[in-house]
Amino acid sequence: MVSRKRYRLKRHHKFERDGLKYVADLETGDLVEINDVEWEILGRYEFQTLHQIVERLKGKYKLTTIFEGIERLEQLGRQGSLLSPIVKPVEPTRVKDEQTDRMPKLLVPFHFTNEKTALDYLTGLNRYRFLKHLSAFAELETLAFSEIGGEKNETPDFDEVRVRNLRVPKSNALVAPWYALDGYDGILLLSQFLTDDLLYYRVPDVPIVHCIDGVQRLRHTLLKTLLTLSAFQRSKDTLVVKASWMKEWLAELGVPVENVRVIPDGVDVVAPIGDKALAKQHTAAIFEKPMFMKQPVVGLISGFEPHRGATWISAFARANRHLAIFVYDAMLTDHYQHPPENVVVFSADDEETRSVLPIFFQALDLVCFPAMPGTPLSTVLEAMAFGVPCVAISKYGMPEEVVGAGVAVNADWDHFGNFHVSMTELSKTIYKSLQPSEARGLDENFSERIVQQHTRKNTAQAIVQLFAEGLQRETDNFGTERTLFPPIFCRRYEPETGMLKSSVYRLGINRYDGLETALAEVLAERHMAAEVESVFKYFQLE
Amino acid sequence: MGGKISCLKCKICIFLTFFVDFARKPIKKMVFNMHVLQSLIFKVKKGRKKLIGFPKTLHQLHIFEADGNFYAADLEKARVVELSAIMLDTLKLAETQTDDTIFETLGASYEDDEVSEAFERLSDLEKEGLLFNRGEDLQSSFKTESKWRKLLVVIPGINVDSFFDIETVSAGTNMALSYMIRHLVEYTDLHFAGSRNRKITDGVYEVDIGIDDLIRLRSKIAETYYGLLTLHQEHDRWLLPLYRYPEFPPIVVQCHAPRGHGGQAMNSIFRHYAAMRDCDGFTAPSDYVRDFYANYVWDPSFFHTLPNGVDSKLFHPMDKAAAKHEIAEEIGDDRIKIAPTVGYLSRVQSEKGASVYLKLAELNPHFLFLIAGPNLGRYASRALPNNLVYVGFHPREKLPLIYNAFDVYCFPSMSGEETFGLTVLEAMACGVPPVVPNFDGVPSVVGDAGLVADAENFDHDVATLVSYPCPVDFSVKINSLLNNTEMWHGFSERARQRAENFTWHNTAERIVKLFEMLHHKKKLINPNRLLNVFAPTPPAEDKESQELKCRSILLSMNANYERCLMRDAVYPLRAEDGVVLSILKNHTPREAEAILAELVADKTEAMTILKRVRGLIDGTA
Repeated sequence: MVSRKRYRLKRHHKFERDGLKYVADLETGDLVEINDVEWEILGRYEFQTLHQIVERLKGKYKLTTIFEGIERLEQLGRQGSLLSPIVKPVEPTRVKDEQTDRMPKLLVPFHFTNEKTALDYLTGLNRYRFLKHLSAFAELETLAFSEIGGEKNETPDFDEVRVRNLRVPKSNALVAPWYALDGYDGILLLSQFLTDDLLYYRVPDVPIVHCIDGVQRLRHTLLKTLLTLSAFQRSKDTLVVKASWMKEWLAELGVPVENVRVIPDGVDVVAPIGDKALAKQHTAAIFEKPMFMKQPVVGLISGFEPHRGATWISAFARANRHLAIFVYDAMLTDHYQHPPENVVVFSADDEETRSVLPIFFQALDLVCFPAMPGTPLSTVLEAMAFGVPCVAISKYGMPEEVVGAGVAVNADWDHFGNFHVSMTELSKTIYKSLQPSEARGLDENFSERIVQQHTRKNTAQAIVQLFAEGLQRETDNFGTERTLFPPIFCRRYEPETGMLKSSVYRLGINRYDGLETALAEVLAERHMAAEVESVFKYFQLE
Repeated sequence: MGGKISCLKCKICIFLTFFVDFARKPIKKMVFNMHVLQSLIFKVKKGRKKLIGFPKTLHQLHIFEADGNFYAADLEKARVVELSAIMLDTLKLAETQTDDTIFETLGASYEDDEVSEAFERLSDLEKEGLLFNRGEDLQSSFKTESKWRKLLVVIPGINVDSFFDIETVSAGTNMALSYMIRHLVEYTDLHFAGSRNRKITDGVYEVDIGIDDLIRLRSKIAETYYGLLTLHQEHDRWLLPLYRYPEFPPIVVQCHAPRGHGGQAMNSIFRHYAAMRDCDGFTAPSDYVRDFYANYVWDPSFFHTLPNGVDSKLFHPMDKAAAKHEIAEEIGDDRIKIAPTVGYLSRVQSEKGASVYLKLAELNPHFLFLIAGPNLGRYASRALPNNLVYVGFHPREKLPLIYNAFDVYCFPSMSGEETFGLTVLEAMACGVPPVVPNFDGVPSVVGDAGLVADAENFDHDVATLVSYPCPVDFSVKINSLLNNTEMWHGFSERARQRAENFTWHNTAERIVKLFEMLHHKKKLINPNRLLNVFAPTPPAEDKESQELKCRSILLSMNANYERCLMRDAVYPLRAEDGVVLSILKNHTPREAEAILAELVADKTEAMTILKRVRGLIDGTA
């Protein structure tokens, strides 16, 4: 499989004789007849990347011929001729360039058309701002394809992302990830839909950082997406989730979380517009709900599935009639027709609505949120940046992002976001949290910490750092031992039982061996340990 | 003393001087003489030239220099050898000069011992089959022929000449092979892998290709030969690794006894079946053997029946009375002239049914039971029934006479031994009706031209000797033949007719056709470049159990970063399909079969999975 250069060229000598081409392996004494394309590949193998080899030769030979040539040479390498396996991967050269001032170059594939409809305004905005800040730490590039000879339709650069316009022949058989082989230090995937993105995971040597939003509208596919991604990830890749409970959820599902990092979106904090009383006044005026001036205001920031969400909020509002409840939920505004008297529902849908949101946050006495996929943590943090304590409705205890700034109420939700919490307990906790005595227990520096920690700059920097970390992990984990005795899977007659059993015969030692061991070994050549494990679990093998 | 050692006498002189001097005195003198002696011994050693026997024909060599060293690339052996300057100079003279002249010529520029050392090393390389042509120069005779008319026969452990000296061939398997080879020459040139180049007979050569050379020479072999023919020997170590190289032309393995030997033969065949490429195959001497294996595997098309033949010119009906007369005279037993005879031609061993035959003799004192074989083996020391007559061991050309002296041919081998029964066919060709047991390959050879006697056959236990001919039924069948002249004549006629259909000519033609067919299969093989990943699936929403399952995701991209499937980039597959897909990257469909047999309980379902995945690979190639 031409997936990466896994071999180094040994001392060799090429020559032609009677119109035939040969290459002599001076280390083993093997002599191999090669064809024209293999001759040329050998000349380039040491100095060029696979991508360069193919790009340089593709005008002269058919793509399949070139790939077959590489395949054949690497096949020889597997058999010990001409090439020898690289035991350690080449030290990452580019990502270390931080010292030399060169910013890493990242590929950011875009196909946001699908996602535009799925992302709410804030998620989209966060993504845009993230890229903007990222461009301070990395050179960003995306790919656009047009046909050679076709209409010249060059996509102009986005603000922060340069567009690499590629003109390819109509018959171009190479998929987009092929172009990611060349010249990138990393690939940043932001997609929540797994279509072509998964193909990038097959690009060798280039680490991927995949950022996943717990978008409520995608909740039905979220679990599948996460499970699939975890299978595709290599040790150099990183999955970024935006809240700690997402990681805990994955761990609960048995997904290995070594490569999962929690990096919340950065928060935008604006200066308060006067004091809390003024903010409450504004809020009451905007929603024409005077109770927001008099009663304790509780913010509920959620990512509910609309139908269930509306039902639950109504029940919550009726159980806590003394509270003025401000709901921030991107989906509910359109679907929640008749909320109870003490509830207002809001979402930011454009720059204007977005600009008033801090006023409402400032008016809150308490912010309450269910720690589950779909709940935008950065929005919660933005509210808490005004010094508002929280009640986290949580399955995994107090989320680490808000430790010291509130209390957790035990709750449960299943893999599909169905949400269960004891209303009595929640009401009691909220009641207690609103008592002045309780508020004193709050970490006073919390809001300051949020502002300092969760800046967009920090987020961008942390993510760029992940590419280098990934490569380091890869280097550390490299060197899977390969058995020297190739297995042949075959049936074996057992005279004692008169039955035929599947077994494995090892060439070299010429003995039978356990099927499971060899199967694991063969699968591990092309699959991650987690994949092999899940296959074995599925077939109930040891 | 330099170079003056011309006779033994001188040496003795020196020794004498030494001893005399030693006796007479002085240490000093002795030391001097020790030096003389040492230098003398050294000279003798140095002067002993290593003889190689130049001039010699060289292989096609390409000499080159790399990193300051000289190398010779041996194009015929696909090996590169590092040479010293002196070895290189020697090679330059090797084809035209003799040992002595080379020694002399190089003596001008090198020390004698350097030349000797170079000779030594070249001689070692020659022993490895490198640089020098071993045997005759066959290049000219090879080149005139088309490449598709050459077949490489690799049968280690058997001397090639033995196939052409029929009297030295003993076992039926080798006998059959010997005949087959001699008829195969009508269709194709045969090159036997050996250790030198020589012509054996018209169209048959031994070539300097050792077992260890095969893998290295694979592209040359692919270029020269249309196939590789070999014989299954269950302890072979060399053949299995060959299947891993796609370059080799089709490999055909002739297989024989399926039973016996604790299943080792079977297991060896199963290993070959698993490792074989799509374009390789087995031949079995009878439908019985073919079906035996075909029943165990999912792809029976790997097993081809290749029946043996019989030389029906040599083996033909003769005047029976005259034949009996001649044998009777020869061994001095007149009973043969008058009594009805039952015949048995074999090694006299239990597995060949010798004890059953003995029993038959005891059961039928009114018939004469003749045994023709190398000797009586362990039965020689036993008291044998009076009507059991050993007629001795005869050269092959005399066998027709022996067969003709039999009225009935009796073949009582135990199960597991006989895949075909070549002697039965020879007897039939001589018009002798056979009686054979009802198992193994023999009944299918006999057809309606003989009688099949009952046998105890334990089909479920295939790998041990557990089927026995029934002496009583054998006896009944023999009696019915010998007591009914009309019936006997009918069988005799049909036996001869049936035998005439089994010709070695047909056998040879089948082999050539089999190779042709396998070549077509080779062209149909598609590379498996599909990529897949195993991922857990989310638990079903409505299910109580929230456990993760495993599925496989097929990527639209292949290993060459080409799109090989339309529409979406990912396709969900069953985990079973994914496993097969991954296995088929470096392993054969037969190996996937062994794995599926273990993983999937339902055989039909498992076979469907394999078929589906192979279809997917072909469809996206």
